[in-house]
Amino acid sequence: MAVQAPAVVVRAAPRASRGLWRDALRRLLRNGPAMLGLLFIAIFVAAAILAPLISPYDPTVGVIGEAKHGPSLQHLMGTDSVGRDEYSRVLFGARISLTVGSVAVLTGLVFGCLVGALAGGAGGIVDTILMRVVDVLLAVPGILLAIGIVAWLGQGQLQIVLAVGISYAPIFARLLRGSLLALRESDYVMAARSMGASPARVLLRHMLPNALTPLIVQATLAAATAIIDVAGLGFLGLGPGDPRVAEWGEMLTGSAGFLQNAPYLIFFPGAAIVISAIGFNLLGDGLREALDPRLKR
Amino acid sequence: MRLLPEPAGRIEGGRVEFEGQDLIELDESEMRELRGKEIAMIFQDPMTSLNPVLTIEEQMVETIKAHKKITGSDARARAIELLSMVGIPQPEQRLRNFPHQFSGGMRQRVMIAMALALEPKLLIADEPTTALDVTIQAQVLELLSRLAADHGTAVILITHDLGVVAGMTRRTNVMYAGFVVESATTAELFAQPSHPYTVGLLHSMPRLDAQPGEPLIPIEGTPPDLRFAPVGCPFAPRCAWRVESCWRGMPPLEPLQPTTEVHMTGSGATHRCACWNRPTAEEASAGRPLRAGFTAAPEPIGAGR
Amino acid sequence: MLRFIVRRVLGAIPILFGLSVILFMFLRLLPGDPAIAILGQHATPQLIAQIHETLGLDKPLYVQYLNYLGQLLQGNFGASIIDSRAVADTFAIRFPITVELTIGALIFAVGLGIPLGRLAARHPNGWIDGLVTVVSLFGISIPIFVLGYTLAFIFAVELHLLPYPGPIDPRLSVDPVTHFPIIDAVLSGNPGAVVDAFAHLILPAIALGSIPLAIVTRITRASVIDVSNEDYVRTARAKGLTRKRVDDRHIMRNAWLPVTTVIGLQVGSLLGGAVLTETVFGWPGVGSWVVTSIQNHDYIVVQSLILIFATIFLTVNLIVDIGYAFLNPRIRYS
Repeated sequence: MAVQAPAVVVRAAPRASRGLWRDALRRLLRNGPAMLGLLFIAIFVAAAILAPLISPYDPTVGVIGEAKHGPSLQHLMGTDSVGRDEYSRVLFGARISLTVGSVAVLTGLVFGCLVGALAGGAGGIVDTILMRVVDVLLAVPGILLAIGIVAWLGQGQLQIVLAVGISYAPIFARLLRGSLLALRESDYVMAARSMGASPARVLLRHMLPNALTPLIVQATLAAATAIIDVAGLGFLGLGPGDPRVAEWGEMLTGSAGFLQNAPYLIFFPGAAIVISAIGFNLLGDGLREALDPRLKR
Repeated sequence: MRLLPEPAGRIEGGRVEFEGQDLIELDESEMRELRGKEIAMIFQDPMTSLNPVLTIEEQMVETIKAHKKITGSDARARAIELLSMVGIPQPEQRLRNFPHQFSGGMRQRVMIAMALALEPKLLIADEPTTALDVTIQAQVLELLSRLAADHGTAVILITHDLGVVAGMTRRTNVMYAGFVVESATTAELFAQPSHPYTVGLLHSMPRLDAQPGEPLIPIEGTPPDLRFAPVGCPFAPRCAWRVESCWRGMPPLEPLQPTTEVHMTGSGATHRCACWNRPTAEEASAGRPLRAGFTAAPEPIGAGR
Repeated sequence: MLRFIVRRVLGAIPILFGLSVILFMFLRLLPGDPAIAILGQHATPQLIAQIHETLGLDKPLYVQYLNYLGQLLQGNFGASIIDSRAVADTFAIRFPITVELTIGALIFAVGLGIPLGRLAARHPNGWIDGLVTVVSLFGISIPIFVLGYTLAFIFAVELHLLPYPGPIDPRLSVDPVTHFPIIDAVLSGNPGAVVDAFAHLILPAIALGSIPLAIVTRITRASVIDVSNEDYVRTARAKGLTRKRVDDRHIMRNAWLPVTTVIGLQVGSLLGGAVLTETVFGWPGVGSWVVTSIQNHDYIVVQSLILIFATIFLTVNLIVDIGYAFLNPRIRYS
């Protein structure tokens, strides 16, 4: 029996999706807090790049007799205990904090992804051994692992990068392995495999793009803690150990002595660390919301 | 029941009358007194409707104690009585179990026991068997109708299963997109479906009395997006009987025979229908318009929704 | 349940074993003669010979490791190069101070974080929620030492409300019996000393607890919002329970589960953070000992302390896991 089909009215969907990444970018650009975070980061990146041009003084040369002068028109943020201009040192400090912090996160990301991909991809005994190593590293609490590694490798920027990077690598390794394992069981990867896609194609085309988004979010948030950890090492006297470079954490070493007569020496580098960490945290939260719209904070 | 949190759920208007009292006008604490005691509810999915970290005993006793001054041991005795009433073996032991130790059908029985704990006057059952096995469905429904009859509890059964409607109910409201589109005693509704949606529903399910080879007729299109209030009849986009006025205004719910006095409830409830262009009896049994030269009115241009 | 506990305990052993291997290599892989690396400027021929003897450096590597492991299992963590005292002895004196600080920080973080998270979850995206979000953003973005010095400046230097530095005023000359500052103050029978010990704890506990506070708040908020949308919460409300009862019994009992796990993980950040906090506030605990040992190249102490911290962290998480299983009947009865 033929059925007279009524004309079906098709209404346009609220808005056509233009692909995962463009959608995510659009959501990110409309996320106010994330844009504020990006602005904070941009300010410090600009400060780091322009430091030699906009610094009023040489950050490494102190003037005897001008130590611990409070903020003034000559010295916007005052001078430190050996008479160096604090403002110039905060500007130059952005270079160390941002580069060492972000390179450390990238190092951790590379190590972590290698281990995670190997473990999640190979499975079996390789997975077991690698994950035990990851467990061992995760068992050492927080910044203590980085402290131990610097104690072992000695002081220097490269050592700090390695120390902070290695202390983050297990987190990324576990994250990537977890999403790879979950994806391997997912229906659409099964479907792709059943259609005869090669293992490499399944990994590169179907699994990695989906495993990537949590890594991007985690790496951005890790940049915030990396800046804090690098400053922490510097504060403990495990910083670059080079008197020619200014580092925010190192500038705070011995702050107990500033409490009475020069609290601004705590305030300005402290604020620099906090604002840049807030920047990365806001951006990371925004990325998470943009990349996974089902998640809200 | 006013359970939806604001601002997701909002009462736009109208009245919800229970024993002469408008529920919308009650304040939260008065409403809370009614919940569970006068009006109880059973939900769709028994797997998620019981709290996983509390024992059945804790969940039943707290329900009873919330509305009655009663000692713990009396409440417990009542809980055991209720569990055996809904057919759960060894109720004393089962009381100490957690929900995950019960099967889906058993959990729904627990839900029914809990809902009937205070002998409410009204029980709202929201698709109580959708999540259950077909064989369990029948048992649960039978239990529900027997207990409701014993306690004198009125049941509002929300379902999309016409078999359940035919077997369990006396009066039916057919709803589409939040509107009652047809209302009648169940017998009359099945004998004389008068709204295109009701007709469509009846034709989209297999029947024992169907001719061999007779096709099922699905309802075309998809349910409307309830976030956008429709102009006109919400069923118009999917309706084979639609006429031009369907796009312009929502038809009122009117008695089939305009002269009769309207009875809202009871076995003599008036058969009412909300449609500008009701299918005839022949069309209803065929499942499509039979009038010569009739075509469904197209959506007017510029009737932006 | 017992099998669950046994399995968890057995799972922690290979981790500690692996860590002991890494830490063993840590000393051996220092460039040059480990004895000289350990001794640094203190090196004399006798001392070098002595280190060679204690570390057994002339024996094969696996024999050295087995010796090291055997010593560890007997509770012998070696001795400091600086003062020749056994690590275990100094640890016994310093550890109570760190424990007191960590517990203080944990009480601050959990005691404030859970109510804040519940408050924020009550009206998601309302103004209280916004405020809580901003505060927790600051909490995770501010380094312990920046917050610590800022608090010390405001409350000790400017307002003279709270004491700084140290765990207790040395002029009170409280006898160290248990080495827990507050317990010793109680034992001294001097009420003034008890008040003083508590007052000294407040600022470092806040500085150390700020990151866990932020994280506990966020998790509580998310967890309460999640659970509030569950069907069984609707059931509870449909039964006519009071709002307080629904909140306390039906929502919180479930919302606790993820929060417990996170609290356990925060103990790690507290132990790591103690290193910075004790340095800022001049507390002679294990954390500041790590720092001075690194500055003195006292590697045996550093090595032992890392191992001990990891053991504590693993043990706490083990306890949390078991506690989680007790809270969650789905695990308890399977």
